[in-house]
Amino acid sequence: MLTSTPLSVTGVDAGVAATFCGELRQLAQAQFKPCLRPRKFFSCTCRKDHHLQQHRRFWKIPSIKSLNYHARNLLLSFSFSKEAEDSFFSDVSEDTDDMYDDLLDKYGEVVFSRKDQKPSSAELDDDAESLSFAVEIARVASEVKAADIRVLFVKPLVYWARFFIIATAFSRPQIDAIGSKIRDLAEKKYGRVPSGDSKPNSWTLLDYGDVVVHIFLPPQRAFYNLEEFYGNATSIELPFENQPPFRN
Amino acid sequence: MIQPQTHLNVADNSGARKLMCIRIIGASNRRYAYIGDVIVAVIKEAVPNTTLERSEVIRAVIVRTCKELKRKNGMIIRYDDNAAVVIDQEGNPKGTRIFGAIARELRQLNFTKIVSLAPEVRFLDNEDMILGYALERIRRSFIRYTTRRSKLKSTGSGDFLVLRR
Repeated sequence: MLTSTPLSVTGVDAGVAATFCGELRQLAQAQFKPCLRPRKFFSCTCRKDHHLQQHRRFWKIPSIKSLNYHARNLLLSFSFSKEAEDSFFSDVSEDTDDMYDDLLDKYGEVVFSRKDQKPSSAELDDDAESLSFAVEIARVASEVKAADIRVLFVKPLVYWARFFIIATAFSRPQIDAIGSKIRDLAEKKYGRVPSGDSKPNSWTLLDYGDVVVHIFLPPQRAFYNLEEFYGNATSIELPFENQPPFRN
Repeated sequence: MIQPQTHLNVADNSGARKLMCIRIIGASNRRYAYIGDVIVAVIKEAVPNTTLERSEVIRAVIVRTCKELKRKNGMIIRYDDNAAVVIDQEGNPKGTRIFGAIARELRQLNFTKIVSLAPEVRFLDNEDMILGYALERIRRSFIRYTTRRSKLKSTGSGDFLVLRR
């Protein structure tokens, strides 16, 4: 299964390393030549060459001619860029993601600026509106005794929704009750009609666009484990008593 | 263009590996199925020791096709493979996670469950894709990790930054 998917982890790492090497070499104002070797190998050989170069620079220079073109290019470029290179080696042990973020902040080019940008205040207003809607739905769900209600702010993680509401119900009639209560409230108070499941299902989903409601039976909730999948999302504190998860 | 006898990959962790379409659900005598259509399929290859077995007949939703998907705004999306997600009679996916790129059309077709189990990946190959992503036209189609040349960062205010090699 995993082999058939394009999400290969090793592929990603190699890509990161290659791009990163390239970026650093460009920063080091060396004459640029793409280096596609894996990072570890690359840094080891560089280090070795660099030390050689540092200690025996004077008498080593004539013998450089005997090296092949590529190796010489490498040696020369790294003797030019000693300082930049040192900072590179000190960074290698740290997290690549953080490094990438720093590099992006410093050297990133803006390639696209969205024209229909909403001012951040309007965006915040929309978020607040969705939040009040989501909390209201969660309150209604808890009135019908849905258990373990979680409201997750998933906007940073997915492009297609702002809030997830995950709740457990213990029978299909209860799922039906929760679903119809939520539908009534949304239609009367907010004038919104959901898409998604119309009949009660073991995983009933109500899709209000920015707010998506998931109602599970306990086994399905454990099976799909959405909270773990969206583990990076911030959980919203609810202003009412939340029933603890049901345990047998 | 999926028709009976077409072999498809499976884009989830349900345990099936290869499917063969045997029927398209919809109208009678419907010829082809596209992204978002439900098909009846038989499992041709399965991972050992899982709930699904070879030669089992199941339902599946098509999530990727080699045939282009056209959007109203002129965007055309084409994937490298034909892939489907195994579902049960109620429309719940049989696996717990979905792999690879999923088109946003699936949400309009009421397969939000599949979309909510799919990953969101933001590494894009070149500037055209970044543009497509920024305009919310493409999601994760065409992304090849091994040949990636740039990394994208969204500042949150609508600007997209890129590191060039």
